[in-house]
Amino acid sequence: MKRNPITIAVGALLLTIFFLLLFLFQVRTTELAVVATFGRVTAHAGPGAHFRWPWPIQSVHKFDQRIHTFEGKLEQVLTSDANNLLIMVYVGWQINDPAVFLTRFNGSTNRAQDSLEGLIRNAYSGVVGKHPLTHFISTDEKQLKFVEIEQEMQARIQADCRALTNGLNIAFLGIKRLGLPESVTKLVFERMESEREVRVSEVKGDGERQASEIRSRADFASAKLLAEAEAEATKTQGEGEKIAAKSFEVFRQEPELAKLLLDLKALEQLLQERATLILHDDMAPLNILKSKEPAGPQK
Amino acid sequence: MNVEKNLQRNAGVNLGLSLVVTATTYAVAYSTHSFAGQVAGIFLWLGFLVGLVSWFHMRLEERERLESLELDELARSRGSGTLFTAGEGDSRQARGARELFERYFVPGFTLVLLLMQAVAGWWCLRWLSRVKEPPALAQPLVAMAILGLFALVLYLIGQFSSRLARLEQSRLLQPSASYVLLGAHVLALAVAGLALVLAGFSQVDYFLAQVFCGLLWLLALENLFSLMFEFYRPRVKGRPIRILYDSRLVGLISHPESVFTTVAHTLDYQFGFKVSETWFYQFLKRSMAWLTLSYLAILTASTCLVYVQPGEEALLERFGKPAPGREVLGPGFHAKLPWPIDQAYRYRTQEIQTFDVGFEHDEKDEHEAAVLWTVSHYKEELNLLVASRETAEIPAAPGSPGRKAPPVSLLSVGLPVQYQIHDLKAWAYNYSNAGELLKELATREVVRYLVGVDVNDIMSVGRFAAAEELQKRIQARADELKLGVRILFVGLQDVHPPVRVGAAYEKFVGAKQKREADILKAQAYAIRTNSLAIAAATTRRLRAAAESARRVTTAAATESLFTNQMAAYRASPDVYSERARLQTLSRYGQNARKIVRPATNAQETLQLNLEEKLREGVMAVPLPPLSPGK
Repeated sequence: MKRNPITIAVGALLLTIFFLLLFLFQVRTTELAVVATFGRVTAHAGPGAHFRWPWPIQSVHKFDQRIHTFEGKLEQVLTSDANNLLIMVYVGWQINDPAVFLTRFNGSTNRAQDSLEGLIRNAYSGVVGKHPLTHFISTDEKQLKFVEIEQEMQARIQADCRALTNGLNIAFLGIKRLGLPESVTKLVFERMESEREVRVSEVKGDGERQASEIRSRADFASAKLLAEAEAEATKTQGEGEKIAAKSFEVFRQEPELAKLLLDLKALEQLLQERATLILHDDMAPLNILKSKEPAGPQK
Repeated sequence: MNVEKNLQRNAGVNLGLSLVVTATTYAVAYSTHSFAGQVAGIFLWLGFLVGLVSWFHMRLEERERLESLELDELARSRGSGTLFTAGEGDSRQARGARELFERYFVPGFTLVLLLMQAVAGWWCLRWLSRVKEPPALAQPLVAMAILGLFALVLYLIGQFSSRLARLEQSRLLQPSASYVLLGAHVLALAVAGLALVLAGFSQVDYFLAQVFCGLLWLLALENLFSLMFEFYRPRVKGRPIRILYDSRLVGLISHPESVFTTVAHTLDYQFGFKVSETWFYQFLKRSMAWLTLSYLAILTASTCLVYVQPGEEALLERFGKPAPGREVLGPGFHAKLPWPIDQAYRYRTQEIQTFDVGFEHDEKDEHEAAVLWTVSHYKEELNLLVASRETAEIPAAPGSPGRKAPPVSLLSVGLPVQYQIHDLKAWAYNYSNAGELLKELATREVVRYLVGVDVNDIMSVGRFAAAEELQKRIQARADELKLGVRILFVGLQDVHPPVRVGAAYEKFVGAKQKREADILKAQAYAIRTNSLAIAAATTRRLRAAAESARRVTTAAATESLFTNQMAAYRASPDVYSERARLQTLSRYGQNARKIVRPATNAQETLQLNLEEKLREGVMAVPLPPLSPGK
């Protein structure tokens, strides 16, 4: 019977691949592997290619040895000063004993994280309840214990992991979120609005006060300026009068004439207004209208 | 006669067996938690339905055959075929029933079949997508034994039925046989999947179930095309009609060795001539092995090259370990050993990557023209706690007696963070999801920062300082955790009070503006008042100076005039005086009303201006006695 060489080549190739798959396995540098012989863990394998007996003699379980990040749920807790707080943390965890991890969680990271969820909640109630609100949030850095609280929670979860011997190591923990329950949030909003109202009144009042001060100062300066000008003007006029008075000394030389001139000046002023002059007919120049002789019959 | 009976019996056996195997397979797969086994049960159920229709179809054909024999016998006994032939159309009821069945029921059933396949495929994929993690198998060895036995039994019966159908040229037994064989293959694969799960490949059963779902969709698609092409197929008289529910794809999977035959039959049937006899088809058939081997060789060779694109870096691993001296490959072509010895993992290291802290973008709001405090502009905005120096507490709100607001404030903070991977090995090897961790720690730093600063500071003067400080803190934390990233930018682009209190904050801003406006108005008043005062003072001063100067000048002039007048006066005091009086009278008395009254008789008053009547009593005014000479 004639054999097709291509068929033989393909068959040989497939057979080789099949045997390689059966007897070899690879572990990535990011992984850890556990080899179980007839169900019992007999060896650990690091990165590289390794020999194995085919299933069902040996089975290989690979795990990601890198640090995984897991986020807890947002949970309501009570601080030591009876304030309600919502808290959420994230945890960096790592498999430190793959054999234990395999037996405890059947190699499932989801199961491990479900277990961690419980430990995190336990740490919430155990750690948060020991601290007042000012340890979580305060403008005074001395009062803040944020980092210390994170460390306490990490230590608590790590201790629980050790007690459970679940093969996990807690690499780090961080508080991802702090919040307030809905009812408290509403109150905070109301208080924030009230604070704003106070600030609005302060600012408005301050504006009005400053404006009033500016106006008053301006009025004062104006009045002062005018008063000073008035005083100066009066003084100037007085000095003028003084100088003018010196000129009037000449009137002493002929007081009669001076008086006459003053009278005439006054008369001049009087006549400028609407005036009625009642004159004697004997007065000059009207007296010229009268004859020296008594008037006789007309000829 | 016996042959027909055999075929019907065989179809009946297939039918009964399919039903039993279907029910048992599903029960076993369900209790074992095998996804692939449960989806395989759907194939068996569909096979049962096809078998049921096929069996009924065969019964109709059998009735038609018997009816035809009876009519032939009757015609022979009467000796007059002509007379009988005239009424043949009305008397062949079985044939009519079969024709009606093929014309209406078969396409209808095919349509239902394709709908069931499509819906089952969609529903199973949806079900599988909701599975977070495949559950552990329960009693997998027992399941493998039962399902393996079923696969073997179905295979044997399917092969027998298929050969019987081919030998007897029974077109109606073939669909049932094909589906039985398909069921056998699917069950064998499900058993293999369980074995691989036991061998450590825990996802195989899950992926196999997904492949089965894809196969269901393929079958549905094939049935759809069969239905569509049936309308355009050329009808050749005397040529047997292909059963619509007889899937070629199922036939192909059931008999993988006959792939070319199936393809050839399909083309010949569809185009109405022997496509399979053309040179190209024959060439493909002869060279398929070479072509396949060449393809595999090229495929393997292609895994010896890796192309790292600009902006990317790749991690090269040999047997899972970093390749010595070539751990990180830069952009360009690189040779490597074929898969699975060397494997390269590419990352976009030069690309600036961005994530957001504190909010989630809503694509609907991407084109909003304005970002306002009073309108929520993101899909989700987190209200973060911020410290507040203003510790005043408001009274308890109605409905929550005794409760007081804690001395904190809430703030919506939007923080885009841009980063770049600078140490690929640290980024890829230290954390299972470094990107997610970076986001987590950035959020943590924001929360940590906000709980220690005053809300009013961060919203005003402390904004840029906060962005700089946060960038430093995130970078420091990332370095501490050896994430291998460089934080390029942290921007506090969105710091505002929550939407609920946005209006109150706007009022505050408005009040500040009003304060400034009030002050500016007062300053304008002050400037105007001051200017006017200066002007008035200057005017007053200048007027006083002018008056003074006038007084002085007038006095000097008066003095000079008096000196001159005095000379004239001394020359003749009476004349001068009289002259001065008369000059004054004539010069200034022009406009005055003048009344001349005689000194002796007041009744002879002379009124020189007659325009106005004298008031009574004027004449009674006593005149002073005239001094001599006046």
